[in-house]
Amino acid sequence: MKWILPLLAAALSACAPIKDNFMGPKPYEKDLMARKEMQVDAYPFLTQAEEHIYFSKEASSGGRGFAGGGCGCN
Amino acid sequence: MSSSFREGLARISVGLLAGALPAAGARAQSYEFGAPVRNDNFGPGFNFAQIDAALLVYQESGSRIMAMEPTLDLSVHGADGRALTLSAVADAVSGATPNGAVPSDKPQNFVTPLQPAGSSATVTSASGGSTVIKLPPTPGQVAAAALGRQYTVPANVLPEDEGFHDHRAALSGGWTQPVGGITDMGFTLGYSRESDYQAITASGHTDQTFNAGNTNVSLTLNGELDSSFPFGGIPTPLSQMNAQFKTQTSRNKSQAGFVLGLTEVMTRRWLLSLNYAFDNQSGYETDPYRIISVVDHLSGEPVQNLYEGRPTKRTSQSIYLDNKIDWGPAVTDLSVRYYTDSWGVRSSTVELDQRINVTSIAYIEPSVRWYDQKEANFFRYFLVQGQPTPAYASSDMRLGSFHALTYGAKFGLSLSKRSEIYLKAEYYHQGGDAHPAAAIGQLKQQNLFTGTNAAFAFIGYSWDFH
Repeated sequence: MKWILPLLAAALSACAPIKDNFMGPKPYEKDLMARKEMQVDAYPFLTQAEEHIYFSKEASSGGRGFAGGGCGCN
Repeated sequence: MSSSFREGLARISVGLLAGALPAAGARAQSYEFGAPVRNDNFGPGFNFAQIDAALLVYQESGSRIMAMEPTLDLSVHGADGRALTLSAVADAVSGATPNGAVPSDKPQNFVTPLQPAGSSATVTSASGGSTVIKLPPTPGQVAAAALGRQYTVPANVLPEDEGFHDHRAALSGGWTQPVGGITDMGFTLGYSRESDYQAITASGHTDQTFNAGNTNVSLTLNGELDSSFPFGGIPTPLSQMNAQFKTQTSRNKSQAGFVLGLTEVMTRRWLLSLNYAFDNQSGYETDPYRIISVVDHLSGEPVQNLYEGRPTKRTSQSIYLDNKIDWGPAVTDLSVRYYTDSWGVRSSTVELDQRINVTSIAYIEPSVRWYDQKEANFFRYFLVQGQPTPAYASSDMRLGSFHALTYGAKFGLSLSKRSEIYLKAEYYHQGGDAHPAAAIGQLKQQNLFTGTNAAFAFIGYSWDFH
């Protein structure tokens, strides 16, 4: 797993040339990003419930958020 | 040094700086990211509150686990970016669950504790088709179990304990606000209680938005302290299953980890998120109710049932990448995750959601999720008599190799500009190796894969108000 942190660093630094090319949207171009369905987690209730089910039926958890389940179901 | 390279270094430095900031925190987003306002009816600088209520109904096939889970969440947002979140969850779970033993071509009997000696409670019957048995004293136990519970599993049937039922209640609260030049900082505390388990969770969060609002870096620190106090006490790992109450009544587990996140508005229509998560667990990881069969090396007949045992340390890492793309009347959400841990578990997950706005107030969202898992290094379908007993062993299929497919659809309807009701129904199917090459004798004729098939549905309501 030694590759994960370098990969993360590379991904972070990779944003630089992308921004040089595309400059990113201007504040007045954020209309679509302001919509509910474009939020990072638009329906956190639903996400939490699904993650809880997968936590109780699979050996993997986390990634999107904390790996803990807050219960004894696994 | 090129400008792009310098800028790249600067980005890493900012990420590390954000990581070094004091922890605290709940979920928070800047206005540039669409805001703490999850509906776009309120702009920044407005006070408002949001209520979310949902009900989850979950049913596994084969009369296994059935669960009902209502949840309620209230969040209050201040004009200055401060936010308070309170949430409550309750669930009721019942049904049959595999006890970990392999099926046999002969009926099998299993025993568990039912009532300790000296109890004033009256026991005339046991649930789940079980019978009550009287037990002789056993030296070394805290008390001779006056009563045990015995259940019989017919030949060629997967052994399940049908007496499982539990209730859980959980509360959590969080606070977040801007601090100085930091976009958001906050914390969340949570408490969860079951009849045989307790969990206390705490997390701190900070995030920083920069680059004209197009880049957000976040760090969340998490901690959890769990206590397990199973009915019948804590069995000695890999000792023979019995109906006696055990001397040790509880064990703890602690957990600490962090999630480092980057969110980037790539274009007007494309949002990208990348998370790295690290987690470290220490303590009681074993399922106290689960057993593993010891089988004859020739016939494959179970000759003994041992309590399972798992390592007391576990370290995991995962990397998660999510893309959201707006196509106009549709939004695609595509995510991938890779997970690995010190138990040898490896998994890959791909999830695709496609939201289609059917009208200005209604949408449908079909979804599919693919999951593939490689087994933990101590996973065994069974142990073989005469061979050395390993330090750890579990036949819990959740630690085995399998794949899973979830497919479903969501339907949402805006009841007003500030309220929405939604319904989502899904089906979850696990598939794996029912006839592993290591099967012996009669086990070659049995289905040894004990994975889950389940249907579940959510109905939820969300309301924003001043």
